[in-house]
Amino acid sequence: MALMPKRVKWRKYQRGHNRGNATKGNYVAFGEFGIQSLVTGRITGRQIEAGRVAATHFLHRVGKVYIRIFPHRSVSAKPLETRMGKGKGEPDRWEAKIKPGTILYEIGGVPEDLAKRALLRVAHKMPVKCRFVTRHRA
Amino acid sequence: MVETIVLKAEKREQAGSRYSRKLRKQGLVPAIIYGHKTEPVAIQLNYHDLALELQHHHRLLDVELDGAQEKLLVKDVQHDYLGDKVIHVDLTRVNIDERVQVTVEVELRGTPVGVSEGGVLDQINTDIELECLVTAIPESVRALVSDLKIGETLVAGDLELPAGAKLISDPTTAIATVSVVAEEAEEAEEAEVAEGEVEPEIIAKKAEEAGQGESEK
Repeated sequence: MALMPKRVKWRKYQRGHNRGNATKGNYVAFGEFGIQSLVTGRITGRQIEAGRVAATHFLHRVGKVYIRIFPHRSVSAKPLETRMGKGKGEPDRWEAKIKPGTILYEIGGVPEDLAKRALLRVAHKMPVKCRFVTRHRA
Repeated sequence: MVETIVLKAEKREQAGSRYSRKLRKQGLVPAIIYGHKTEPVAIQLNYHDLALELQHHHRLLDVELDGAQEKLLVKDVQHDYLGDKVIHVDLTRVNIDERVQVTVEVELRGTPVGVSEGGVLDQINTDIELECLVTAIPESVRALVSDLKIGETLVAGDLELPAGAKLISDPTTAIATVSVVAEEAEEAEEAEVAEGEVEPEIIAKKAEEAGQGESEK
């Protein structure tokens, strides 16, 4: 099931902006390897789940997969064939706002080549440009 | 071990993010020297030389400032948002015979017995605090995990430290553990709950209702 919050203050949010670079969550903290977003974007709960499934299925329950992002914001959408007006649409999906530098997923307890291949599969599911990173900085 | 190079530093006349940005564009890195109860000095260093030193895990740097050469310990390194480039360095004054507290990386060695039994090796803490001579700061502390079975944990107190080093971190701090991966029953969950049917609890709505109830009373 796709990720979504258990409790929220409001059902609908305004779109807002997503400026700047990641100042938090921009280094590999839990595992040994990860993928880092290089651009700004929004990732839906379904996409996050697809990434998790891609990694866990590839690893066959070896190692540990950490998801570092969470879809906190609801996005509303109007139904098909609806005229404009009559208020804001109903919540359609939940999204995480991503800034350049954000670590999206981490993997620990597996060799680097295996982690790389698993995270490549995850990166294919992501709507943002990503790169493979390790905990040990050069 | 690669020999250290003498980093030529110049005093910085100005401070602030705009000036620092200008420096970085010129191939320089803003840095600061402090410690030993003397006034802090804002300096600028050559990016290439500094990056080279840090890449070789050198903690003790030879810095030449105003014709005088001194040994400085790297206290903190700030990276850019992608974690690639060094954007600022904190350096502290030290004496050669001084003992200092430093954070050292823990490197796990070997494949635990528990992993072959179906467990997963999880490194809980990647760094430990040590006290050692400033000239004998280890690059990393190696921890042998090959004897770890499922459910066992390696703690900081079990680590073999280099000669002369003293552990500052709590000896009970967990370093690595071998745990069993929980069976995922997610597919069954997926079948139970169709997407879009559930909605999160709305906190604001609750508060509103409570407010209305009070006003009616």
